[in-house]
Amino acid sequence: MSEAPLFQVENLHAGIEGEEILKGVDLTINRGEIHALMGPNGSGKSTLAYIVAGHPNYEVFEGRVLYKGENVLELGADERAQLGMFLAFQYPTTIPGVSMANFLRLAVNSVKGEDDGEGGKKRIAPREFRKMLREKMQMLNIDESFATRYLNEGFSGGEKKRAEILQMAMLEPEFCIMDETDSGLDIDALRTVSEGVNKLYNDNMAMLLITHYQRLLNHIKPQFVHVMLEGQIVQSGGPELAEELEAKGYDWLKETASV
Amino acid sequence: MEASVQEKTKGFTRRAAEELSLRRGEPDWVRELRLKAWDTYEEIPMPKRTDEEWRRTDIRRIPIDDVVPFTELRDKVSSRDKLPTGALSVAASETVDSGLNVQIDSSTVFSSVEDSVTQQGVIFTDLATAIEKYPELIQQYFQKAVPADDNKFAALNAAFWSGGTFLYVPKGVEIEVPFRNIVHNATPGASIFAHTLIVAEEEANVALIDHWNSAEGEELSLACNVVEVHAAEAAQVRYIQLQDWGRNMWSFCTQKALCDQDAQVNSLNVALGAKFSRSNITGMLNGAGSLVEMLGIYFADENQHIDHLTRQEHVSPYATSDLLIKGALKDRSRTVYSGLIKVHPHAQRTDAYQSNRNLVLSRNARADTIPNLEIGANDVRCTHGATVSQVEEEYIFYLMSRGINRTEAAKLIVDGFFDEVIERVPIEEVQEFVREAIARKIGL
Repeated sequence: MSEAPLFQVENLHAGIEGEEILKGVDLTINRGEIHALMGPNGSGKSTLAYIVAGHPNYEVFEGRVLYKGENVLELGADERAQLGMFLAFQYPTTIPGVSMANFLRLAVNSVKGEDDGEGGKKRIAPREFRKMLREKMQMLNIDESFATRYLNEGFSGGEKKRAEILQMAMLEPEFCIMDETDSGLDIDALRTVSEGVNKLYNDNMAMLLITHYQRLLNHIKPQFVHVMLEGQIVQSGGPELAEELEAKGYDWLKETASV
Repeated sequence: MEASVQEKTKGFTRRAAEELSLRRGEPDWVRELRLKAWDTYEEIPMPKRTDEEWRRTDIRRIPIDDVVPFTELRDKVSSRDKLPTGALSVAASETVDSGLNVQIDSSTVFSSVEDSVTQQGVIFTDLATAIEKYPELIQQYFQKAVPADDNKFAALNAAFWSGGTFLYVPKGVEIEVPFRNIVHNATPGASIFAHTLIVAEEEANVALIDHWNSAEGEELSLACNVVEVHAAEAAQVRYIQLQDWGRNMWSFCTQKALCDQDAQVNSLNVALGAKFSRSNITGMLNGAGSLVEMLGIYFADENQHIDHLTRQEHVSPYATSDLLIKGALKDRSRTVYSGLIKVHPHAQRTDAYQSNRNLVLSRNARADTIPNLEIGANDVRCTHGATVSQVEEEYIFYLMSRGINRTEAAKLIVDGFFDEVIERVPIEEVQEFVREAIARKIGL
């Protein structure tokens, strides 16, 4: 029997406050694949990201989300992250008083610390952690002062996104969703962020890029492109689909979809 | 030591105050002070909910008739490592201090001070010794910042104080390493009447950490403490109080700092323990250009009731007071904060801040916060703010999405909440103590 796909969404109906936003989403992503999910604002892309990450405000009415063949919908957000799933947020939260370094240390220990056999986790040695942090920060061209700053507090748009990628670099997930990682970035910041992502990516991973612009896809190349409209994936194809959308917009798909 | 029936009698009487004084062999003037204070105590009615300052705090169940007013004198302890475990936990050999004073129940059992400090004329000892050796200094400063008639519990302290700490720093002497005072309640059902008196002469600079803790026990104890700080012209005093009583304690504390011209007093009051805790904390800006920083941290859980009443009193112009007190609450706990900035008519160019922030971690906990201004001058800058908020679920989710479990996430957020206060106290062991206490309270 072949290995289960890394990530699968099956007939997902979900929403918030009783309102159905996702109306039957199916998606399969294998290791070594980069997928792009495109679509206009309000089509349900971010809802999908939040549901996969385990945001408590969202409800699932029907369907499954499988990671390595296991339904993760009953798991807490922390458990999903510990399994190797990661969401880079469109709007990362600012948490006053929590330093980046303390936060990262705790996150790395939670995700990568070895089981101590008593239901807890063995910590990564502080020296090893610091070394790793320094390396990843250098790789992402992030100033060392970042580590002592409070989580996202006073960060510029570009810094917030880089901080998200730094978290991804530290946690080394196998499956990543990047939710509008390109939004709010100028061209230099976009280049830095996408270079970072490209350096982190390897064939043992998979990624889902959520965006409504082509420009991110000029830097990070997906093999598969899906278009979401009104809570459903209405079209899937290769990279040429993204270019077609860039040229024609989403309206032609709307007409096709409503037929 | 002869056991005494008197010492085992519960409740407070004039006779008991006199007995205490006689047993300790105090000079007449000290005994007279006690008896006068007792009269004051009797004149002041027990606070009721109808009193403005006690509207949200009910002390009808105060165990005032159930505790013994003082316990027998204990033998002195010859060295640090012979101190009982409860006190020892903070006086562990690796901690550094310029002097250590340890009070267990009603007795000072240990007192030491570094020679290098003594050589500079610094005095650090218990009150009884200070009365014997430095009566003029005691007469000049003792019960002057907090007189017996300040409030009912200050009066009771004035009648029944025992042990106590006197720290005197002569003009121009700067001592970098903090002094340490430990008050330990070893006998449940006993009472604690500690009295910390700090005097810093002109341009002196000193810090003291007051650490209050208990042995485990069910029987109710009563602590009724007083802290007095005198900062003379351009002196700088840092006072830190780590209140970590056992849950059998009813704790009252009256603390007042007097600042002369250009003097500076930085205080941190950490309230963690006790079943009931009420602290009256006052900064008196008596001299022009003086500065008072009043920091506070409280963390209430189970059925704790923690109440702070603060007062920033600007008597002279060009003075600054900056109060930041943050509290967290869980379980069914209650906290009350009420604070007043009072600016006298001559105190022009006053700069006064007052901020009380509460983080409520449970639906059944309740925080009340009442800031107040009373401004008699016209050229001042005063700001105050008070908030009561819950932990943001968005914060929790964000942290959990990085693999951190809910409890750890909450701890990180609460740590972050308190960090604004902690980072303003540049003493590593204090920062560590507070962070560990927070972890304990959160349940890690």
